[in-house]
Amino acid sequence: MDYDKLLDMATDMGYQLMYSGAEIYRVEESIFRLLLAYGLNEPQVFAIPNAIIVSVTTPEGHAITRMRRIPSHGTDIELLERCNSLCRQLCSQVPPLDEAQQSVSTLVRDLPQYSPSQVLMGYGLAPAFFTAMFGGSMRDTLCALICGVIVGVCQIYGGRLLGANGFFRTVVCSAVAALTSYWTVQLGLGDNVDSIIIGVLMLLVPGVALTNAMREIMAGDIVSGLSRTAEAILVASAIALGAALGLGAGQLF
Amino acid sequence: MNEVIQNYALPSLWAALASFGFTYIYNIHGFGKIICGFGGGMGWLVYLLGGSTIWSGFVAAAVIGVFSEIMARVRRSPVTAYLLVSLLPLVPGGGIYYAMSHCVAGETDLFITTLLHTFGMAAALAVGAMLASSLFRTIFPRFPRFTKRQG
Repeated sequence: MDYDKLLDMATDMGYQLMYSGAEIYRVEESIFRLLLAYGLNEPQVFAIPNAIIVSVTTPEGHAITRMRRIPSHGTDIELLERCNSLCRQLCSQVPPLDEAQQSVSTLVRDLPQYSPSQVLMGYGLAPAFFTAMFGGSMRDTLCALICGVIVGVCQIYGGRLLGANGFFRTVVCSAVAALTSYWTVQLGLGDNVDSIIIGVLMLLVPGVALTNAMREIMAGDIVSGLSRTAEAILVASAIALGAALGLGAGQLF
Repeated sequence: MNEVIQNYALPSLWAALASFGFTYIYNIHGFGKIICGFGGGMGWLVYLLGGSTIWSGFVAAAVIGVFSEIMARVRRSPVTAYLLVSLLPLVPGGGIYYAMSHCVAGETDLFITTLLHTFGMAAALAVGAMLASSLFRTIFPRFPRFTKRQG
């Protein structure tokens, strides 16, 4: 068997899993089971939120290691579910390596994605209903819908402009959210600026980081758990800072 | 009756629809969208019924944790999706915002109170979901224990 190819395939699988926002234990365990299924003895896998290291010893006693860095990424549940079921399928059927590599690479290509307009609709609907949930009026809800779409445009298309710095990006998006909400109320469209801003800020709130942090700690990966907790606190501070800046700017002009 | 609709049923419905909106952002397809929406609405309803305190946040998170574990087993998919979206309405976004505005206005007492309440709520969510999930897994193990796991 070509162990280089096997290692490539397993690391690819781990990369896709990690990229979709899977927990550390899931990534480690998937790669581990995959390598076991292909007949390797005691493969070693180590993952942290932005890197995977996989090391195996071939039956001839030769050690090979592969390391892959993970760029900053979002959450893609469909990819996660597909990776998970593909991994299970590979572990139980153990197809030839080329075939397995093929199915791992087609995973991303065949992935169903929502069109940008549908994603923007999600960005509009979520804050609108959150505003209603927090007791906003009908008009507040409509304002939140508009502001949510604007924040969505910033999130999706602003990435290139604002760079890869997540903290800065959250500050800008939060400032945009606060500023547009403030303006809608100034223009007389909305009634209560607080409930609109809170609804829109729910888009940026570190719910993912908080949930993941909790799940990492539950699985015993303290290093990753702590780094995600730190991420959650940083995002929350970025939101507060951005909202303060946005409101300040709104009151100046 | 009217009060019940106004104070409990409608907000829960909005929470469910908001969670449904989030499924577009996290690329969730098919029946999972409905599960996520339902989970979000149910969590918020439990939170409201408990009186909107930190303790009721804890209970709501625990309910969501168990619900997600059950749904993950029914659909044979990772728990993350359902847990992630269903917990979102409970994440204290309002707390962050009010803490910030008290801080900027120089109302230190209110700022500290709101900040601690926000932290308490976040911790209650994490611990609630964590405990419920762990307990559920202990009672109904999913796979035979994986003894060879390294690390």
